[in-house]
Amino acid sequence: MLRASLITIGLLWPASGVAQEAATTQELYAMTQGQVSAAQDQDRCISQMAEFPTDDPTARYQFFKLVSDVAYGADGQTKALLDHYGQPAVEAGTPVLSVIEDIADPVLRQAAPEIAVASMNYLVDFASVCDVYITGQTDSLVAFDPSLGNPEMNTAIAEDALFLRQILSESLSRLGADQDPAWAGAAQNYSGSLVAQRDAVEFAAFETDIAELETLFMDDLDGRLARSNDVINSEMDREVLGDAVKISDDMNEAARARAKQERLYRLIRIFSGG
Amino acid sequence: MMKQFLFASSLLILGAVTTGCASTAKGVKNSVVNASVPTEKLRSDVPDGGVLAVIRYPAVVEDSAKDAYHKAYAKRAIGGTTGRGVSNTVETVAVADSTIVKSNYFALSLYKELAAKLPEHGVLLSPHVIKLGPGGELTSEPMTAAEDLPSVVSVDFATYSYPDSKKMMGNVPLTFGDLITPLVTVRTDHRASAPTQGVLMASRPLISRAVAESRELALESIDAMQRGNLDPSIPELDFVSYITNDTPKKVSVQKLATRSDTNSTMVLPVEKVRIPTSEMNLLKGASDGTVDPFDDIYTDALSSRIVALINGLDGDKAIMMGKAASVADFDPSLAALTFVGSDDADYTARAAYADRLLDAQRKYLSVQSLRIFDGVHNGELGAQVRDMIAAEYKVLEKRRELAREANMEKLAGIGAAIAGGLIATQGGGSRSSSQVQQCEQIGRSRGRLAYQNCMERLQDRSRRVRQQCRVRARSGSSDAYRRCVQQNDPLASRSSGNVQIGNALLSAGLFSLTDNTKTRLSQQIGTNYLNSIVPALEQQTTVTVDLLDSNETITAIRYEDLQAKLQDLYSSRQRSLDTVATQCAYVDAGEAKRGTWLGVCENGLANGSGAGVLETADDVMEYYGYAKNGLADGPGLMIRHTELGSVSYEGDFVRGVPDGTVRVSQSGREDRTRTYVGGVDTGESLQKAASPFDGRAGDGQTGGATN
Repeated sequence: MLRASLITIGLLWPASGVAQEAATTQELYAMTQGQVSAAQDQDRCISQMAEFPTDDPTARYQFFKLVSDVAYGADGQTKALLDHYGQPAVEAGTPVLSVIEDIADPVLRQAAPEIAVASMNYLVDFASVCDVYITGQTDSLVAFDPSLGNPEMNTAIAEDALFLRQILSESLSRLGADQDPAWAGAAQNYSGSLVAQRDAVEFAAFETDIAELETLFMDDLDGRLARSNDVINSEMDREVLGDAVKISDDMNEAARARAKQERLYRLIRIFSGG
Repeated sequence: MMKQFLFASSLLILGAVTTGCASTAKGVKNSVVNASVPTEKLRSDVPDGGVLAVIRYPAVVEDSAKDAYHKAYAKRAIGGTTGRGVSNTVETVAVADSTIVKSNYFALSLYKELAAKLPEHGVLLSPHVIKLGPGGELTSEPMTAAEDLPSVVSVDFATYSYPDSKKMMGNVPLTFGDLITPLVTVRTDHRASAPTQGVLMASRPLISRAVAESRELALESIDAMQRGNLDPSIPELDFVSYITNDTPKKVSVQKLATRSDTNSTMVLPVEKVRIPTSEMNLLKGASDGTVDPFDDIYTDALSSRIVALINGLDGDKAIMMGKAASVADFDPSLAALTFVGSDDADYTARAAYADRLLDAQRKYLSVQSLRIFDGVHNGELGAQVRDMIAAEYKVLEKRRELAREANMEKLAGIGAAIAGGLIATQGGGSRSSSQVQQCEQIGRSRGRLAYQNCMERLQDRSRRVRQQCRVRARSGSSDAYRRCVQQNDPLASRSSGNVQIGNALLSAGLFSLTDNTKTRLSQQIGTNYLNSIVPALEQQTTVTVDLLDSNETITAIRYEDLQAKLQDLYSSRQRSLDTVATQCAYVDAGEAKRGTWLGVCENGLANGSGAGVLETADDVMEYYGYAKNGLADGPGLMIRHTELGSVSYEGDFVRGVPDGTVRVSQSGREDRTRTYVGGVDTGESLQKAASPFDGRAGDGQTGGATN
């Protein structure tokens, strides 16, 4: 419930995350690599993407990213699994926002898990077919506003996508997919990819926390040490060395004069004929 | 007369030869380190959970240890002709203290160069405090936590001066003015280079101590593992081991190369490297630290060599013990699994968290190193050292000038003496007085010094006689004076004209050759400087101590806080491990001896990945890899330490012994790949030996055993 509300809030309002320089984890980036490659349907993609939030680039980015992350790990076998258990299929042209709301609705997914599967199938299908357009949109938005690359916000989106995928996994389980010899393998593979994604998302969150901690401590330490060094270096009196060298020079001068006198005396003794 | 001339000439030449030319404290312009410098760039990244290099150097001497340090420094000299130490004089104390000040400064030049060649946060500084150990013996300890993190290599760096300042202008090692004598050791963990005990390269006098120290630590580490602890000890500085005359240990050595192909330690000669005059001129007024007179002539090349050494090492093997020890601080059940690793999802996930945690610690500590560098090198401390070097250079140049003048005078003296002898001989007709003949006899029987003394006595007498004659002749004629002199002067009675000129030249030559006024003046200048500089050295030391102590206090307080927060973060996000590391029995092939296994266990016996240690009658053995029923079984690395040395075997093991293709590394020999059957070497193998560290961990060998 909390997750669902977060998703809705994320979709309707721009995130207020502070931009960070730190890059997001490889795992998070890697999520976009494992997507299904399918024939692109330009009209369908453009039409459905037009329904996405347009008033705010952050909300639009969150929306595209969420859809993209939801499709992580879905291969042909997964698609067949969803086609099989997600009946009746969601009607073509249904707004994506309403499909997501259906998935997040706890009453609906308890009463009719096949609707949750069908809705996820619809999302995965859309993400697969329109991958090029979705990626293009997210890349353009990040280029327009680099703060959208904020790892914290991306981790939150990935966590929401993970939540949706967990709903799908539970729904498939409730429909008996993991007990069905024909579909058990596909269901288990999907569960496996879910674990991998969960690990990656959790690690990304850890990474974000640790990066913050690291920055905080390193900056603080650096500042303190710099100040301390300045204070201690100011204790240094370089005149002490100057004085030491001066004393040494004076002593050398005296020694030189003595040596000169000594030499002269000896020379006189020798050359005075006596 | 000719006989007298030949005798005098031979004495002069003998004198010239024995006193020799005054030395001008020359150094080498091109260090051996600069010859054929490897140009290869770093081939690996910073290993997970560790750093690439730690630079260790003597930074401070504790008050309670100062006397012991000064005595040890004076007693155990490096270089010099006698090899004996000198007494603990004010000058020696100044030289010993100056060694610390200079090591503090020049170690930072190496840090700067190495940091430029390694990835960010890849190198840390570890200043050491020289102190008295629990038994009152001199030792050193790190002042920061830099060595708590595992590193692929550690570099001991110090600059050195021979303790007897009177020999400063000779051929002894010296760090003064434009001369720097570095002492260096580059070592890795013995597990990455067992035959050399991890000592990859070292200055000649330090090698045997460094090897002995590394071996001692290896055995201590095994002992700790026997008790179930992952506890890598930190060695004291090799410089300290040398001056305290620790027991040495022999090792196979070879001359400097990019890397050793024969499992030998590469030898760095003790060199007095000379900074070019152009660089020395830049030091004047350089207060911002941008001038480093040492980098071009030494540290740039040395750091390239260190990079090449790192390239030749298995970084993960080099840090595995240190990393396991660090991980054990916050996740004991994971620690021993990190020796070999695993592809299991639960392990991979947890190890990634641990690596990231160690990475945060590394970055934090690298800030401290950067600030130590900044505070010392770029601050007033560094500026004063540069001023000090410039002042020393001035002293050295004065002394060189005096030495050159003395040499010229000696040459002129020889010329004058020979010319005088010839003139006197050509003048003829005169013979030595009986007193002179007596002196010659004394010279023949007792040597040059006795002859000189005798002649000087005659000269004194001659002078007195002439004065008396002058007094007597005041009322008479000059003829009366001449007669008086001829009758009474032991030197002039029988000589006249050319003979007198010849004798005068001979005397002048003798004077030049025997006169050591300039040498004494030169020594006096050195003594004056060392005596005067004491307050500046004390101030430098005090401020350095303040800076390092303050740095460490600030860093340590925040470090503890950071570690606690990292621990919380780590603990709150962990998923459980299917297989955990514990402690159980590890047995030898005959199953007669039982050792300790840290890793995956089943039924109280080693079963899975981990590390085992065992002591038999003949050797001490350590093993990293896979085991079954308590015995080494599967890919593994076994190191056997005997009295003769350490040998490593990396490859396949069955029932506790090498079985299959195994790579054998032995001191003084190239690595050999051999085929073993049941522990018996049956000949050369053309196959590649397996390694427990090369990614074979995911073959399911860790999955079966659980506790």
